[in-house]
Amino acid sequence: MAMTSSSKLRIAFWVVLAAFITWDYQVSASIDLRNEPPLIAAGSGKPVSGGHCSMAK
Amino acid sequence: MKRSPLAVLLSIFFIFLALNVSIRQAVLFLVGIGMGAALAGARFGFTTGWRNLLESKDPRGVTGQILLLGLAAILCIPLLGAFPELTAALGPPSVSLIIGAFFFGMSMQIADGCGSGTLYKAGLGVPLNMGILPLFALGSFLGSVHLGDWLKLGQTEPVGLVTTFGSPTALLMTLLGLLITAGIIRLWVGKGKTWIDKRWVWGAVALAILAALNLIIAGQPWGVVYGFGLWAAKIFNSLGWFDPSGNMFWGQEGNALRLTQSVLMDVTSITNIGILGGALWISATANDAGKPLTSQQWMIGLVAGFVMGYSSRLAFGCNIGAMLSGISTGSLHGWIWVPLALMGTTIGVRIRRRYHF
Repeated sequence: MAMTSSSKLRIAFWVVLAAFITWDYQVSASIDLRNEPPLIAAGSGKPVSGGHCSMAK
Repeated sequence: MKRSPLAVLLSIFFIFLALNVSIRQAVLFLVGIGMGAALAGARFGFTTGWRNLLESKDPRGVTGQILLLGLAAILCIPLLGAFPELTAALGPPSVSLIIGAFFFGMSMQIADGCGSGTLYKAGLGVPLNMGILPLFALGSFLGSVHLGDWLKLGQTEPVGLVTTFGSPTALLMTLLGLLITAGIIRLWVGKGKTWIDKRWVWGAVALAILAALNLIIAGQPWGVVYGFGLWAAKIFNSLGWFDPSGNMFWGQEGNALRLTQSVLMDVTSITNIGILGGALWISATANDAGKPLTSQQWMIGLVAGFVMGYSSRLAFGCNIGAMLSGISTGSLHGWIWVPLALMGTTIGVRIRRRYHF
């Protein structure tokens, strides 16, 4: 069965996304597994350090 | 693709995250999958709901959104009061918020998808939304780069209802605000309308629970736009095209640190990837490629996607980060965002009609 242009675009989209994540994982600083964030932030007592779109800074 | 191999692939990625990044990120990936499945399964389109209200006086989509906001507020505001380490989605009331929300509301109608809508439709395989995603990321990055200049036009400190009034009063004020909004919509649509649609209701319930889980696990509300901007910023930074050190936004300690870390460690990025995965899983049984577009419609749609990314940074979030997370965690900026985005939407639906989308 011939592949539609929509299917080709879809495959390209996922390939590019997977390539980006793989590239990023390779070039970024290695992850310190001993310094994992708490599984559940609520009640951990640790301040949140993630980025959010509502942040001005 | 069938669901079984997809489930295997998603499970492998979950295990990879648990072993190589952190258990928290792996669990947030699952939360993201749930969000994507709920958004795509219920076709919970914020953009469509607003358009149906304006063009057909059909309140079902907006009723679902008000229900989502109310349920999320009932879950999230008491959590913020009980756990001081949790943060609300507090954006500053500012000139940039007013301009950004207006242009976001306009462009989301042309692009037929807000932040979450673009994600889940890209996951479903809708060609325009797949094409928009990288431009959304580029716009979001450039908006964050220019944010310092926009804020110089005027801003006040963020206003959080929970910190100002306490969580019981903040919740009452939020629910009252939603009730008044529903009353205004009732006046607009008139009598004899169907208000409730099962898919919007179950979508609202599922998304409210998942938004609260995001807050409990990550410590911050659900967001979409920050992740997109971070992805583009990392590419520009690694190519040597962008120096974050002198920039107001990316020069900040936390943002500068995230530029050096894997995006798999970023809370927003991991739920975004999960949303794509969850929508892909839904698409295995409900393929929706959308109608074919002309070259002109493609061009207009892609430009709208870029504007949407840029304006969402100025507005301190999209329908998720500003409206859902802002309002459900008691941020004043969420309440400013909604009427401005609605004004933009009135223009956006006209442009949409003009170009026969």
